[in-house]
Amino acid sequence: MKKIFAGLLAVAFGIVLLIGISLNTGLFGYNDSLPEDGAASHYISKDVNGKTDEVVFGETTGAETGSANMVTSVIANYRSFDTLGEVTVLFLAALGVSLLAGTMDKGRKRSGSGFILRTSARILFPLMLVTGIYIFTHGHLTPGGGFPGGSMIASSFLLLYLADESFRANVKGFKVAEGLAGTLYVAIGIVGLLAAGYFLVNFLPTGTVGNLLSAGIIPVVYVIIGLKVGSEITGIVADMFNEEVKA
Amino acid sequence: MMINPVLLIAIPLGLAFIAVVFKKLQGWILAIGVAANAFLVFFVEKGETAIGGFKLPFAISLVLDDFSFIGVILVNVLTLAAVAVAFRKTEKYVPVILAGLAGLNGMVLTGDMFNLFVFMEITAISAYILSSEGRKPEQSFNYLVIGSIGSVLYLLGLILIYGQTGTLNMSLMAEKSALIGQAAMVLPLVLIFAGIAVEAKLLPMSGWVRGVLGNSNALTGVMFASVYSSAALMVFGRVFSQVLIPGTTAGVIIIVIALLTFAAGQVSAFRSKSLRQVLLYSSIAQSGLAAALFATGFVFPAVLVIINNAAGKMIMFSTAGNLEEKYGTDDYVGLGGAFVRNMPAGVAFTIAALSLTGLPLVFGFYAKLNVLAAYLNQGTFFVPAVVLAGTIIEGAYFIRILIKLWAPGKEGEWADADQSVGEKKIFNPAGTVVVILVTLLIILSGFLPDSVGKLVAPGGGLLGDEGPSISLTMEKGGDQ
Amino acid sequence: MIKFASLLLIIIGLYGILSTRNVIKILVGINVMEIGINVFIIAMGFVNDGAAPILSVDNPVNVLKFVDPVAQALVLTSIVIGLGITALGLVFARKIHKKYGTYDLSETGGES
Repeated sequence: MKKIFAGLLAVAFGIVLLIGISLNTGLFGYNDSLPEDGAASHYISKDVNGKTDEVVFGETTGAETGSANMVTSVIANYRSFDTLGEVTVLFLAALGVSLLAGTMDKGRKRSGSGFILRTSARILFPLMLVTGIYIFTHGHLTPGGGFPGGSMIASSFLLLYLADESFRANVKGFKVAEGLAGTLYVAIGIVGLLAAGYFLVNFLPTGTVGNLLSAGIIPVVYVIIGLKVGSEITGIVADMFNEEVKA
Repeated sequence: MMINPVLLIAIPLGLAFIAVVFKKLQGWILAIGVAANAFLVFFVEKGETAIGGFKLPFAISLVLDDFSFIGVILVNVLTLAAVAVAFRKTEKYVPVILAGLAGLNGMVLTGDMFNLFVFMEITAISAYILSSEGRKPEQSFNYLVIGSIGSVLYLLGLILIYGQTGTLNMSLMAEKSALIGQAAMVLPLVLIFAGIAVEAKLLPMSGWVRGVLGNSNALTGVMFASVYSSAALMVFGRVFSQVLIPGTTAGVIIIVIALLTFAAGQVSAFRSKSLRQVLLYSSIAQSGLAAALFATGFVFPAVLVIINNAAGKMIMFSTAGNLEEKYGTDDYVGLGGAFVRNMPAGVAFTIAALSLTGLPLVFGFYAKLNVLAAYLNQGTFFVPAVVLAGTIIEGAYFIRILIKLWAPGKEGEWADADQSVGEKKIFNPAGTVVVILVTLLIILSGFLPDSVGKLVAPGGGLLGDEGPSISLTMEKGGDQ
Repeated sequence: MIKFASLLLIIIGLYGILSTRNVIKILVGINVMEIGINVFIIAMGFVNDGAAPILSVDNPVNVLKFVDPVAQALVLTSIVIGLGITALGLVFARKIHKKYGTYDLSETGGES
C-alpha cells in the first residue's frame, strides 16, 4: 500500500516537473551558446573587473585570475566564498560523525587479511597518496583540484584500513590538521581584507597562465582545501571504524 | 567605526575551526564568539559589499540593507541569549553552534542565490547535529531526509532560473526574471519555495518539526524555534518579496499553503497535551502567518510577527526545556502549579504567551493589529477572519496551559501543596537575567509601539511596503 | 535527452525515499536524487560544440566556445554537500540500529 501511494506521488511530481520544465528550458536540446552578458561568459573571458585582451595559454601574464582551468578560477577565486561554505559543510559533517560515532561501543573485531593483501596495500598506499597530492597541487592546470585530491588521500587511508586489521590512524592528528587548515583559509581571507579591502581577494601575483607557480593564491587555497578534505574524510572513515571512543 | 559585514560570518567560522584545535578553551571561545558577534552587529557597514575584490554583478555580495539589518540583529542577539540561558548544555557543541551562527548570518546577509543555498546547507547540517542531542535518532534522521529533499528541489528551481537569466546575483536576477514569462517561472518558484519551506516550517515540509522540537532541550528548542526560524523566515521574505516576486498563480499557491499552515498549526496546538508540542505547533502557525504576509507583500507586519515570535518562543522554549529536565515530564497536567514555585519563569512565560496571542499592553498586540489592518486596508476580509479565528484558538490553548501551571486546583483555585510539584529553580542566574530582560522588552515595546514601529519600518518600507498601517497614538484608530 | 534522464533519476530517487521504511535504502534514494540533480545541472550548462573549460595546448585561447564553468562549479559544491549529508545520515542510521536493533523505521515506535 505504501509503495503504491509513494509511486503515485512520485509519478504526479514527475509529471509536474516535466510539464514545468518543458515550459521553461525544454527537455531536449542544449544551449547553442552562453548568454553574452551572463556571469559565465565573463568568467571565461576573465574580464569581470574590466575589459582585457584574450588570454593565451603559456603566454599571457597578469591575467585576472591567472588560472588555466576556468572551473578552478570560478571555485577558488570568483566564488571562493561558496567554497569556504562548502568546506564548512564537510567540517560540520566530520564533526557530527565524530560526536555521534564516538559515543558508541568499540566496533567488532575486524577480520584478518592475508599477507599478499597487506603488502600490496602498503605498496599502493604511497602511490595513491602521491597521486592525490599531485591532483590538488595542479588544480589550476588540469581537471581536479582540492576535492578529488583530498578524496584520493582519504581513499588511500581507507585502503589501509580495509587491508590491515591492526592499522589505526591517528585521529587526533587529523582533527588538528583539519582545524588548522580551516583557520588558515579564513586567515587568508582576512589577510585579503586587511591588505586590499576585500575578503578573499587574490593578493599574490598571477604569473603566466599555464605555469605551476601561477594564479596567485589559488594553488595555496587548493592545497589547503586538499589537506582539509583529505583529513576530514579520513577522519570520517576512521570514526566509522570506531576508533574514536570519546571525542 | 564601520566594519565589513563579512566579519560577522568570518569570525564565528574562524573561531569554530580554532575550537576544534584547542578543545580545553571551548567554553571561552564560544562565549567570545557569540558576544563579539552580538556586539559587532551594530557597527556593520550598510550597503552591498562585494567579496573577493570583483565587480558587483559577477561577484558574491553581502547586502546589509534595513531589512537584513533587522534579521542580523535578531540572529546574533538571540543566539547570545540562547547560549547564556543554556550555557551548560553547549559543552559538546561549541564548533557546531559557532559554525551554525556563521551560516545563519550568511543566510540573512547574502545577495547571491547559490551562496544562499550553501549557507542554508551549513545551517541545516548544524541543525541536524544539534537535534541529535535528543534521545530519538530517528527524528534527526527524518529531519535529514526532509532537508535533503528540500535542498534538491531548491537546486532544481535555482538552475532553471539560472538557465533563463544567466546570473546568480539576487538584484540582477530580480531584474531579469521580471522579463521572463509567467508560465516559465511558476515551477522554479514553487521549487524554491519548497526548498526554503523546510527550515521555515511551512506545511508540506514541516513533518520534522514535531519530532525534533518535541524532544528538544532548553538550548536546542530555543535555537530552532527562535533563531533558526527567524533567519529562515527573513530569507523567505527576502526571496519572495524582492527577488522572485510571485505572479498570480504561484502567489496564490504560496498564500494558500501558508494560511493552511497557520490554521493547521493552531488546531494541532489546541489538541496537544505536551507543553513542547503546543509550542512547536504554535511556531508552525506563526511561520505560516509570516509567510502569507510576505507573499502578499505586507513586509512590515511580517517582520513584526517574526520579532514577536522570536522573543516569545525564546522565553517559552527555554522554560519548557528546563521544566522537562527538572521535573521529568512534559505533560502540563503533570506540571501543575510549577509556576507558583518558580515566579520569574512563570511571569516571563505568561507575558510571552500573552504577547504571542496578541493581547493588549504587550508587543504582540501591535503586531497583530498591523497584520489585521494591512489586510483590511486592502479590502480582503477572508484572511483577517482566519487570523482572528486562529488567534482565538491560540488564546484558548495558552490560557489552558497558564491555568494549569499557575493554579491547578479545581477550576482555578490555588493549589494545595500535594497537587503541585516540588520547588526547583528553573533558570540559572544568567538565564534568569536574560529572560527577565526579554520580558521587559516585550512589555516596554507594548507601551511604546510607535518607537518600535519607527525602528522597524525602514525594513518594511524598503521592500515595497508602506510601513505601519496602524499607529496607536494617532487618531487613525477608526480604521478597524 | 540527458536532461530527461536526470529528471527520471530524481523521480526514481524520490520514489525510493517515499516507498521504503529501511533507513539504508532511504539514504540510497537520497543519493540517487542527488546524482540526478547534479547531472541535470551539468546538462543545463552544456553548449553545443563547446570545449571543456580548460586552457591547454589544444585550446590555448579563451575566445573559443566553452561549456559553462559556473554549472560545473555548482555541481562540485553540491557533490561535496551530498557527501556530508550521506556521512551524517549513515551515522544516524548506526545510532538507530544501536538503539532499536533494526534498520527498519516502522519498528521504532513511530513519532515522539
